Amino acid sequence: MIEVKELKKKFGRKQILNGVSFTANKGEITCLIGINGVGKTTILKGIMNLTPMNSGQIFIDGKNLSKDTYEKITFIPDAITMIPTMTIAQAMQFMQDYYKSWNQSRATELLSFFRLKQEDKISSLSKGNTAKVNLLLGLALDVDYLLMDEPFSGIDIFSREQIANVFTSHLVEDRGVIITTHEINDIEHLIDKVVLLDNGIVLKEFSTEEMREDEGKSVVDVMREVYQG
Amino acid sequence: MKSYLKLVNFEIGRFMKIYLVLIGLTILSQLIGVIILSKSYVANANEAIYEYLVPFGQFIEEYGRMSMMSVVDSIWFMGPIALCAAAFLFYIFFIWYRDWVGKNTFIYRLFMLPTARLNVLLSKATTIFLLVLGLVAMQLILLPIGSMLMKWNVPLDFRTDMTIREIINNSHYLFILIPDSFIQFLINYGLGFMAVFVLFTAILFERSFRWKGVLLGIVYCLIASAIFLAPLIYEFGIQASFFYPVELLIIEIILGILVIAISIWLSKFLLNKKVTV
Amino acid sequence: MNVNLNKREPVYVQVIRHFKEQIATRNLNPGQEIPSRRELANQLKINPNTAQRAYKEMEEQGLIYTEGNSPSKITKDEKILGAVREELIGQAIDSFIAAIGPIDVPLDEVVGLIREKYRGDKE
Repeated sequence: MIEVKELKKKFGRKQILNGVSFTANKGEITCLIGINGVGKTTILKGIMNLTPMNSGQIFIDGKNLSKDTYEKITFIPDAITMIPTMTIAQAMQFMQDYYKSWNQSRATELLSFFRLKQEDKISSLSKGNTAKVNLLLGLALDVDYLLMDEPFSGIDIFSREQIANVFTSHLVEDRGVIITTHEINDIEHLIDKVVLLDNGIVLKEFSTEEMREDEGKSVVDVMREVYQG
Repeated sequence: MKSYLKLVNFEIGRFMKIYLVLIGLTILSQLIGVIILSKSYVANANEAIYEYLVPFGQFIEEYGRMSMMSVVDSIWFMGPIALCAAAFLFYIFFIWYRDWVGKNTFIYRLFMLPTARLNVLLSKATTIFLLVLGLVAMQLILLPIGSMLMKWNVPLDFRTDMTIREIINNSHYLFILIPDSFIQFLINYGLGFMAVFVLFTAILFERSFRWKGVLLGIVYCLIASAIFLAPLIYEFGIQASFFYPVELLIIEIILGILVIAISIWLSKFLLNKKVTV
Repeated sequence: MNVNLNKREPVYVQVIRHFKEQIATRNLNPGQEIPSRRELANQLKINPNTAQRAYKEMEEQGLIYTEGNSPSKITKDEKILGAVREELIGQAIDSFIAAIGPIDVPLDEVVGLIREKYRGDKE
């Protein structure tokens, strides 16, 4: 379980996060929703210790993050985290060189799943394919937790579909996933849990199936209530 | 340790293209320089002696004999060295900023590697250090080759042959790069190494606190310089030599190590607690 | 398999209803193997946890059964199959009555109309 407790973060004078708390379970897909600039990415970076928080705590399976945690949790930002002049094969080799959790057979499987050619240079790829390589490099790690920042934004519809397929496959199964999005529509049926953010706080945290079962409301219904009510 | 070595190898690989270009330019420029300068000296001598009938003795008196000294002090020789120096000074900054700037988010990857973040810094410092040593080694190989080329082009009577050591000792800047004692070598390159660590720390200040960090970085550079130069500042203050040279050397070595240690410690703190991608 | 899922009803409920329809219309035959929960999740683009929950419920209701490690199958229990059929017919009638009720048509007329229409559709 990933526990985020009372995260606070200021950028200059702007209070981006003002006491954000939520949990994300292993085996579930948790979705952070909020308009752009609400601090979703900052939360993910905070969990990965890629940007310092002013206060608050983060526990991953009850422990603070250390260098070894990077074998258990990985972050897939919205831009590729590899050197663009590398080929896909070189990028995969890089990952294999440093991560014990790198799973080459899964990487190969993902390559064919996404129909990518490993001799291609990253810089020569289309936007959609670059996003897929980015995803591949994270998904091929045998980690318990995956954080994905806007995996669906800015790419073509077919790439979106392919990426959505990943979420219903064994590639994500049994792992804990946190994704951020400002556009819930396509993925409502994929997610287990929703965390609605605004003005630096969590407005609501709920399970999607429970919400449908108990109150007969869709995620968008709840968002309408929370943001406009 | 394994990750550190892999990172060094990786960082060297990333600079290799530019590095090879620098080496190529240096080799070309220095060897072409030897040939051009030798040829023009010989042409000059021919003109004077055969056309204007200047006696040999008088020509030598006026123009001197051709030696490697006129080569190493020329732009052909110094130019590429200055270029390499500038390139490395630039690279001290570029080795960090290229992972941050623009769309490139490779720094995310580097900071998410399952290894101590300090290794990222140490590998970058090691890379710069090793590549600089490589350039110096290449210079040591190029000097005898240059000497030989000059010998082929200039007749014995018109030239003064010098050993490599003589050439270096007579050239101010080559002597800094390749001093004649091991201790002096350690001092020169230790100073360089210290400067790299101080600059890296300043860069990390900037990467942690952005504009405020620029200020902090500059302040840190000043403090580091002040610590290192403290004995000299003191002597300047009292307008007298206070320390024996050996004492001064030992104190400076200790202070140098201290500055490096503080820089690494601060960098480690910034990398783990303050830096932002 | 193509299902239009709505967003306000629990997904697992919709999945179960879908299976009941398939069973009642004999698109799924008694004893026929059904997709694994992962395959189902993938086909319907739903969360594997939800697929799991739907299968669990269906297993509890006796709609499907699993022997050892082999894939789950549609039940052969005629009583349950009959009940599913009745349930769906009942639901259809209910919604029909709910729609026709306010118009206040005599039963005989309705039955006559149904008979006519129904035959026409079947031909």
